[in-house]
Amino acid sequence: MTGWHIDAALLAEYDRGSLDPSRVMAVDAHLLACASCRGRVEVDTVWLADNWAAVFDAVHAPKQRVLWRLLGRLGLPEHRIQLLAATPALRWSWLGATAAVLALAVAAAYFAQPGARVSAMLFLVLAPVLPVLAVATAYGPPADPMHEITGTMPAAGPSLVLWRATAVVAVAVAMGMGAAALLPGPGWYAVAWLLPALVLSMGSLALSTVVPLSTATGLLGGAWLIGVGTAATVHRGSSLPIIFGGTAQLGYLLAAAMAVAVLTMRRGRLDPGETR
Amino acid sequence: MTTVSIGGLGKRYGATVALDSLDLEIGTGVTGLLGPNGAGKTTLLRCLATALAADRGRLRILGLDPAVPAQRTELRRRIGYLPQNPGLYPQFTAYDLLDYVAVLKELTDGRQRRAEVRRVLEEVELTDRARTRVRRLSGGMRQRLGLAQALLGEPQLLILDEPTVGLDPEQRMLFRALISRLGERRTVLLSTHQTEDVGALCERVVVMNSGRVIFDGSPRELAAVADGRVWLSTTAPAGSQPYWRNADGLYRTLGDQPEGGERGQPSLEDGYLLLLGPSTRAGAAR
Repeated sequence: MTGWHIDAALLAEYDRGSLDPSRVMAVDAHLLACASCRGRVEVDTVWLADNWAAVFDAVHAPKQRVLWRLLGRLGLPEHRIQLLAATPALRWSWLGATAAVLALAVAAAYFAQPGARVSAMLFLVLAPVLPVLAVATAYGPPADPMHEITGTMPAAGPSLVLWRATAVVAVAVAMGMGAAALLPGPGWYAVAWLLPALVLSMGSLALSTVVPLSTATGLLGGAWLIGVGTAATVHRGSSLPIIFGGTAQLGYLLAAAMAVAVLTMRRGRLDPGETR
Repeated sequence: MTTVSIGGLGKRYGATVALDSLDLEIGTGVTGLLGPNGAGKTTLLRCLATALAADRGRLRILGLDPAVPAQRTELRRRIGYLPQNPGLYPQFTAYDLLDYVAVLKELTDGRQRRAEVRRVLEEVELTDRARTRVRRLSGGMRQRLGLAQALLGEPQLLILDEPTVGLDPEQRMLFRALISRLGERRTVLLSTHQTEDVGALCERVVVMNSGRVIFDGSPRELAAVADGRVWLSTTAPAGSQPYWRNADGLYRTLGDQPEGGERGQPSLEDGYLLLLGPSTRAGAAR
């Protein structure tokens, strides 16, 4: 201690932020050592609270990984990204759901074998719905330890299941396509239904920005049934390649891209539980 | 002001009756729900938290009917629920977990959500543990984190199922202080086995047994149930009445006066045990 204290004029300039940097550093150094002068500095509590909050959030907020940044660039709202990013973090549920979806893909390969037409048709009708069911099961009790809390949240319900289904099926599509590329011939059928499943999940979410979610899923589910039914009636034995063939897959891919575009453009209407 | 209004509420699990035409009104403040295992406490709380639908009866929470989907969603925005086994994800940090639950609670604005996460962390005194993973938190801290998630969005009704179970005395005291503070401005309904918690926290106590309400009043009134029915004696009482030896070496008997018995000061627990009847008293005395 030198016995010297900052005079009122200097302190006022310091408070106003009008001192040059070298003098600010000198005043800072003195304030660190002198409680008396520190007590005279005017503190803007709002500014201080805001800064503390910003520092706290910067230190504690979830790390924005590659997937996070990518989804952000696609225009998805931050809270939606948080929900999707957390989905794989619930490791067992996510792994279970992905495994279930891929197991269904293997089942599809068997059903699609020649001579199994009736089973194949039944499977086709159910295929896009099955991933959603698999996800709903995987994230329910006992796989999701927090299901009791999650189930009582306003965002719980079909919307949450569809978002999770999208996170699961999107990964399953990528994995399945990678595997199918390595398999010769009919192995392709094992994953061919995954794109329609993705379209149904994402399409329902996209359509839910216009109509209520239940109507959206009903409309898309109905459209799928009519499409499969018509193809089976008109083309009979050759309906499988028509529904799952290369042209159809391109159509599903375009539909998925359209769903992404609609979700991006109408993301403001995606708030959970919003009544339309 | 009435927060919860229940009329003739019924719920069965197969042949087991969990709630049997239950009638109850609950208002602002802390209400304790006491009862033995299988009394229907958890079922009632789950119905109130919208985790479970009742089979029959009328249920209005904050004026809303949870059986109507749109009203149920609105209700979920206004209640906080801490189940008996919250199952908080062990690999999440305290902050991440609250942030995730806040998204599910429809706090969609990032700035507002983060402010809310900070607020509840501060409220349960876990700010310095924000970066700690759930699996590394002590039992008491985990329970406080569970309470923090229930506090997100400033709920008007807080439903807590056995919040103090498994906590050491210090943690329980901390928890009690928290709950009593919260009960000053909202409705808190908590179920417990601990009569001490009820005595320390609740201005009102509801005792349930076999899916029914068998007592509804203040803790003082519950203790008064045992007035003139608590006896202390220096020798073990004869007969089949259950008794136990207390810290002073005296035998404490509930019910009829044993030979040489002198009247004792009734406690909340005495009133509770007498309400439940002989079989439960025998169980408690063993």
